[in-house]
Amino acid sequence: MTLTPAARDRISAFWMLLPTFLLLFAFYLYPTFYNLELSFTDITLLQLRQGGDPVGFANYAEFLRSPSFLDIAINTVFWLTFVSVSLMLILGLLMALLLNSEFLQRIRMTTFARLVLLVPWATPPVVAVIAWRWLFDPTHGSINEALLWTGLISQPIAFLANLTTVWPAINTIIIWNSTPLVAVSLLAALQTIPEEQIEAAEIDGATRWQNFRFVTLPYLMPTLSILGLMSVIWTFNNFVYVWLATGAGPGTYTNVLATEIYIRAFTDLRIGYSSAIGVVMAVVMAAFGALYFRVSGLMDMQDRVG
Amino acid sequence: MQNLIKWTATAAMAFWACSAFAQTELTFRFNDSEREELRAALDEFEAANPGIAVELQTIAWSDSRDQFLREGAVGQGPDVVHIAFVWTREMAEAGIVLPIEQLTEYGAFPNGFDDFIATDLTAYEGKSWGVPWSADTWAMVYRTDVLAAAGIDDLPETWDDLLADSRMILKTTDSIGFAFPAADQVWFPFNFYLWSNGLSIVEEDGTGGYRVGASAEELAAAMDYFKTYIDEGLVSRSVLSIEVPHDPALLQALLDGSQGMALMPTNTYRQLLGAFEEANPGAEVPFASGVTMAGSEGPRTHLGGRTLVVNSSTEHPEAAWALVQYLTEAGLFEDYYTNQFPAQKSLLSKIDYRPEESGFAEQLANNTRTWGAYSDSGAGVGQLWNLTARAVATSLSGQSSSIEAAEGLVTEIERLLAN
Repeated sequence: MTLTPAARDRISAFWMLLPTFLLLFAFYLYPTFYNLELSFTDITLLQLRQGGDPVGFANYAEFLRSPSFLDIAINTVFWLTFVSVSLMLILGLLMALLLNSEFLQRIRMTTFARLVLLVPWATPPVVAVIAWRWLFDPTHGSINEALLWTGLISQPIAFLANLTTVWPAINTIIIWNSTPLVAVSLLAALQTIPEEQIEAAEIDGATRWQNFRFVTLPYLMPTLSILGLMSVIWTFNNFVYVWLATGAGPGTYTNVLATEIYIRAFTDLRIGYSSAIGVVMAVVMAAFGALYFRVSGLMDMQDRVG
Repeated sequence: MQNLIKWTATAAMAFWACSAFAQTELTFRFNDSEREELRAALDEFEAANPGIAVELQTIAWSDSRDQFLREGAVGQGPDVVHIAFVWTREMAEAGIVLPIEQLTEYGAFPNGFDDFIATDLTAYEGKSWGVPWSADTWAMVYRTDVLAAAGIDDLPETWDDLLADSRMILKTTDSIGFAFPAADQVWFPFNFYLWSNGLSIVEEDGTGGYRVGASAEELAAAMDYFKTYIDEGLVSRSVLSIEVPHDPALLQALLDGSQGMALMPTNTYRQLLGAFEEANPGAEVPFASGVTMAGSEGPRTHLGGRTLVVNSSTEHPEAAWALVQYLTEAGLFEDYYTNQFPAQKSLLSKIDYRPEESGFAEQLANNTRTWGAYSDSGAGVGQLWNLTARAVATSLSGQSSSIEAAEGLVTEIERLLAN
């Protein structure tokens, strides 16, 4: 039997893709389905050898009806994700514009500024949180010392223990650690904008703001959109910043979905229940993923249409 | 062919010889800070047992329980593991530790297993599953010079005294009076408060079952007591993020005299004394200890401590047991593990307390109780602890009112007891 060239291509493509499929199955699909299976049981950490009993959708119902669900959802969607990502994008854009500006070139600080910018990004999140915990410390922290010295406050502030300051403090840590990536990515996008277009707009009498609004920003939009969506996914899933900074406290004030999973699985030992929360989280992320592909697809279409 | 057989036989003999004389490799997981001291003790054990080598593994207490539960479920993990008293039943229920009755076939303790305290906490389904290793409890620690500066001559005896003295210290010296960890380990002071007022988180219901040992209003009143310290500024709000009594912020305040009173376990107090003496060689130690506060009833703290368990998946149960026996000898507590008290009655009675430790001696001898119903109820002390600490911290931080937090706590404990 003779195979057509197209059939041969398909077979060779299959063999080339097989290792990837196997890896995906072993490290993504199998754990995902196992987690799904656990979410329908009452298994605890003490019963790992025996296994749990099936409980249907009881874990999902309990979580979605729990009094803390709304607080956790608001914390995750608004405080952790929306506030952090919005500020990361705005500050990242401002930093990229500054790094690309003639002002920095004039004072010969471009290279230095770009290197300095990379320091927070190169700092592992664990180290960043520990360093910031010390900075925020009410008795020995330099932020309180500075505020006291300038007379802005008369008593030290326990930033990570005060309900009014704890979320801004966590947002600060996340933004400090993550914004450089946004800035560097946008800087790269800024450097692809043809100089002639900006010059042409200037000759046509465009102001600085009009130049930014109608020439620079449209060029940055594809990068900004992708960065925004990816930052949403990374931040929404993040566990490290909240857990290490506050342990989801004071009380449960900064509890988010990721820390709730950890608390339920490893302090309350309820693996089945925490798996259900994990599935809920995965569903929300899948919605973000769908949005991501839709936005990417739209942009791709726009590029092709011109 | 003949050569092949000869070589195979030689290789097999060499392999057998190597196996026969190979060292038994044990892993001991230890969670306290005395790593160097324990390593020295293990070197002594290895010298006395030439066939056994012990790898010392350390892990944070906060991760220890879950890590071993996960490892044990898949037949992995260290041979000998250092756990808290109250985790022993959970480990037995999970089927990941060996019963003591099986291990004592390799050798008995000099004074028998009955010489150990709190063996009831190691019992599950008629067998014992761990060896109590060290005993401790919490007691009050005072900075005597701070109290003197505030004009306080007598140590406080009741929770009301403690609050009044804290107000006095802040007013006269601008120092903190009583400070406590208000996050995870607020569990301890909160329970001490309840117990000394005849209440508890869980109690027997008189019909063989268990129930919540305090009403929501009583739990809220207990929360309000501790909240007063924060609301009146008697202690910094930063205690809301302090999880443990050995947090540097708390210990440093005691060391530099900016705090006058604290509650802490034995080993933390010994570390505090050691740190002061190291920083101030030859100086008079300005610390005293005393029993905890009384409420409507006498002062009461928990009889706590650490247990040694042998992993049911160990390939060397005999060597593991030899290590457990060595670790419970008197010499270990005299020479290496000096911040802890041994858990044998025969050794506890011989402890030579320093004058500064008299409060701990009194507390341990006359004012402790075991977790009792907490442990017997099957709710799991760990789960009760987490629920309670979260509820108390919710109230202390102002996230919810004390009564709301207390009502939520009662509901959660009832759910746990029902399950």
